[in-house]
Amino acid sequence: MTWQLLLSACVSGALYAVIALSLNLIYGTMRLLDVAHGEFVMVGAFAGYFLVTLLGVPPVLALLGAFALNGLAGLVLYQWLFAGIIRRARSTESLESTSLLVFFGLSVILQNGAALAFGGTPRAYERYARIVHVGGVAITGNRLVAMAACVLAVVAVLVFFARSTWGLAIRALIANRDAAAIVGIDTQAAFRLTCVLGFGLAGYAGAVIGLMQPVSPFMGGQYLMIGFVIIVLGGVGKLVGSVVGGVLIALLETVGTQLTGPNYRDILIYGTFIAVLLLRPQGIFGRHAA
Amino acid sequence: MIRQRRPARVSAGILLAGLVATAAVAGLAGNATLAFATNLACWIALTESWLILSGYAGYISLGHAVFVGTGAYVFVLTWGMIPVWQGFLAAASASGLLACLIGLPCLRVRGPYFVILTLGVAELAKNIVINIEASLGMFGRLLMDGPGPRPLFLLACGLAAAAFVLSYAVRHSRLGIGLLAIRENETAAEMTGVPTVRLKIVAFVLSAIIPGMVGCVMVARSGYFEPLQIFSPQISLTIVTTCIIGGIDDAPGPVLGAVFLNLLSQALWEKAPQLYMVILGVLLIAFVLKMPDGLYGWLMRRRRVA
Repeated sequence: MTWQLLLSACVSGALYAVIALSLNLIYGTMRLLDVAHGEFVMVGAFAGYFLVTLLGVPPVLALLGAFALNGLAGLVLYQWLFAGIIRRARSTESLESTSLLVFFGLSVILQNGAALAFGGTPRAYERYARIVHVGGVAITGNRLVAMAACVLAVVAVLVFFARSTWGLAIRALIANRDAAAIVGIDTQAAFRLTCVLGFGLAGYAGAVIGLMQPVSPFMGGQYLMIGFVIIVLGGVGKLVGSVVGGVLIALLETVGTQLTGPNYRDILIYGTFIAVLLLRPQGIFGRHAA
Repeated sequence: MIRQRRPARVSAGILLAGLVATAAVAGLAGNATLAFATNLACWIALTESWLILSGYAGYISLGHAVFVGTGAYVFVLTWGMIPVWQGFLAAASASGLLACLIGLPCLRVRGPYFVILTLGVAELAKNIVINIEASLGMFGRLLMDGPGPRPLFLLACGLAAAAFVLSYAVRHSRLGIGLLAIRENETAAEMTGVPTVRLKIVAFVLSAIIPGMVGCVMVARSGYFEPLQIFSPQISLTIVTTCIIGGIDDAPGPVLGAVFLNLLSQALWEKAPQLYMVILGVLLIAFVLKMPDGLYGWLMRRRRVA
């Protein structure tokens, strides 16, 4: 029974890692307080849903399609909105509060726009429904595919950031934006890439969720909270921290609700958030105090 | 100095106009106008209170509905057992206490963690209340024999006036100067000796008390308590948008924003609630980018130049 729980935690952990990674990219690199991230996940979920049901795209390709669509949307939003905000911001705090409000507005527009366009009822599609046996435990095919897709994405992202030049450039920006500009890194181009990656991954995660669960316009909020809790836990800007944090939170959620009850899920997660803030605000991998 | 006298005159003028309007509506208005005016008064009370921490110190609370809901819930729980005014006090205390509980861990650290938490805390509280109610076997509660629409209107106006005065008083006090310093540059404020954590927590608690009582008025008006409605994110969004539109720098701002938005919602809310929300979102973004000082800031700047 415990292995079943652990496998379930693995599936959630991989998903949360992708979501937290994407949010960390947006916030850690550009200091944009993306409180609409849950809605970007939702948009990706709907994109995946429509790709599969309307266009008949195989779900695995639909994941990439959602990534591309969301990445494109992120790029457009960057050019249109975020570039101006970042340029005009006098300080990190004012950037954070301005972007906060802009993203807050965006989240409302996306949520209600989706509700207007698609209606509030959840929609689902069914693929890979066959049950697979891994070792001694059973798991449905779609959850296995979901987990594999997320693990693949996380590995790809981490390798990209560890090895490639642009990955290095973005890490430099995370570490110290002004210094990165001084040594000749094209900040604008790096931000554009970050937006594509960050929002694209959010869409990817959303499409993955669509593999496992119904999609609805208001599904995003919980993923936003989980994303930020993981970021606080792992450390802002620490990409590995997001992955580790994602797994930890998933374990906490699965094991915790098993021990206490499904109603306590929110309390456990928020409790972790507050505990981290009280005990170690910079997160597990963070270096300086918040 | 002229610049310092003008805000006082504007605020005094608004307060006076408000009192006159209250008397007029209470005496003469029909039910529809009374309902609109009560709504307006409630929103003014909520937004003025929100301003105390979120406007002056820049620590934006995105889930202020949690105080409305908490106050309403405590009021409902004590309904019939204690006099109504004591219910109000209990609600206010509960909201203030909640603000303390949230604020102590989250206002100690700088950065957006406070904001993130406020984003989720309203949902958390809603779920907790729903769970408690479900375990008690209740699905929504009815309030019988409450005060009538006219006393409730006067109550709402009283809260609005109190919030306005409180907001103005905070803004033009040492507390307000400290909060503004925090907003401009918190590190510098700390360096010059501003007790940032204490001020933030005080401001947060102050900003929670009146919304708790507004929650009581809201449930007393409708006669029933429903967690999904009273903890609604739409309330939080409306508060934020109202203040951004009206102006977050001084007390008259939210009044302007509230009048503007209430008139707008009169036109749209019944027919197309989701469209209304989308418009709110667009307005929020537009004002943040184009008119960050809000209508009040824009008006004050125009007067100075002219």
